[in-house]
Amino acid sequence: MPIKKKGTGLTAVADAWQLADIDVSASYPIRPYTAVMAELAKRIANGTMQCEMVHGEGEHAQFSIAHGASMAGARATTGSSGVGVTYAFETYSPIAGSRCPIQALVGDRTLDPPGDFGSEHTDCLTLRDNGWIFGWAQDAQESLDNSLMYFRIGEDPDIMLPQIVAMDGYFVTHIAQDYIMPDQDQVDKFLPKFNPKFRLDVKNPVIMGPQIEPEMGPPLEWDRHVVMTKVKEKIVEVTEEFGKVFGRKYAPFVEEYLTEDADMVFVLQGAHAVTCRSAIKYLREAGFKIGLCRLRWFRPFPDTALAQILTKFKVAGVIDTGTSYGAPCSGGVLSTEVKAAMSEVAGKPIIQSFTSGLGGETITHEEFFAMAEMMKQTLQAGKIIQGGTWVNFNDYHEGASQINAAKHEAAPSK
Amino acid sequence: MAKVYKQVPFAAIVPSPQTENEGMITGNWRFLRPVVDKEQCTECKTCYIYCPDACVNFAKADGVSFNLKYCKGCGICSNVCPVGAISRVPELDFDE
Repeated sequence: MPIKKKGTGLTAVADAWQLADIDVSASYPIRPYTAVMAELAKRIANGTMQCEMVHGEGEHAQFSIAHGASMAGARATTGSSGVGVTYAFETYSPIAGSRCPIQALVGDRTLDPPGDFGSEHTDCLTLRDNGWIFGWAQDAQESLDNSLMYFRIGEDPDIMLPQIVAMDGYFVTHIAQDYIMPDQDQVDKFLPKFNPKFRLDVKNPVIMGPQIEPEMGPPLEWDRHVVMTKVKEKIVEVTEEFGKVFGRKYAPFVEEYLTEDADMVFVLQGAHAVTCRSAIKYLREAGFKIGLCRLRWFRPFPDTALAQILTKFKVAGVIDTGTSYGAPCSGGVLSTEVKAAMSEVAGKPIIQSFTSGLGGETITHEEFFAMAEMMKQTLQAGKIIQGGTWVNFNDYHEGASQINAAKHEAAPSK
Repeated sequence: MAKVYKQVPFAAIVPSPQTENEGMITGNWRFLRPVVDKEQCTECKTCYIYCPDACVNFAKADGVSFNLKYCKGCGICSNVCPVGAISRVPELDFDE
């Protein structure tokens, strides 16, 4: 029987990994990732979990260990945060290129300098070009569920790609909440044993990752490109099957909230969606016809799904919780990607870029109100009045105080 | 006409062991070539152990030789030779 537990995003992923019966987990401490490695170590020491845990001397070694384990046919996991993610950078393309479906957990943390333990998506977004599949979970339950779905998608013989279960540091990794831990039988039904076609085996030796000639490079990269397009079909299939087996139904790519009659919409990913939803309730009371589109996947980027959904609205405010210095329109990576995905779509909305929640700052109701006010003025003018807004750094927050007053007058919708 | 690329197996995984793979000749990366002085060579096989590309060959009756189709000229053999019998000579010094 599935059981209800109280735990964090990291204990939820540790539960997912235990249920998935992982063979090897490579570790190296860095906050906020560290708690999952401590949780696994505790379970292995207590004898409640069978797994080979290997401690690297740094993140580069850590991901290399997982790479080697996966080549040997193990279901391998690892993970990191912030500058740890970037320290291991050399390993990401070889892991994807050798088609090793290891799973990494990234508990987002801002990149240095200075040392900042807060969450932002910049660390994980640096990996977007390496052939890993990933997206953000908004809470502990989704972290657990994503982990199981990602194994299933990444280890599919037609896919064979590594995955990142990304989650906002502290907001998801460390805040205790209720989640349902599935039953072992359910997981066994959903997730078959990892059985790769090729593995390092002394009885049938192969060379993995050999030196190749330049003429052989493009076909390998073409393979990775083509398989990424197949991942989208697989996501739809696996998400649907997940709903049938576990009873929790997710939108495959984009989760909508109060969008039926909306003419404006926030577009974001990750845990700030939770605050955004409650802010939308107040905004609705104040007369704003606004909703939310939360992206569940970042790679492969759900361009087709997003194009279909966003054409319903007149203004889309894309909120980046990461940076890309010097990017077009002063936006971040997400806003650049959304604009690129919508560039050739007829009837697209006006897309406005916001950057907020950097360094682990919570995006407050007031900040959502200010963004909504800007979007409303864009809607009325029919064009962007002020593009590329870093929230709290622009002199454009008169609207925030008015909505804030309305918030205290109006009771939230239940 | 479209360029025809070489066919590559899944993730470039190839059978092993094999001393030569015609599809993956990398000797053209080299700009320094190992040359052995057979008078000094004691055939201790240290270079054979250390060569990362398995290019050192002792199969022939006349002692050590190098498989130049795959030697990238890294110089490890020259560095580890205990009697200094292996030198590195610029490729431009050779006709072929």
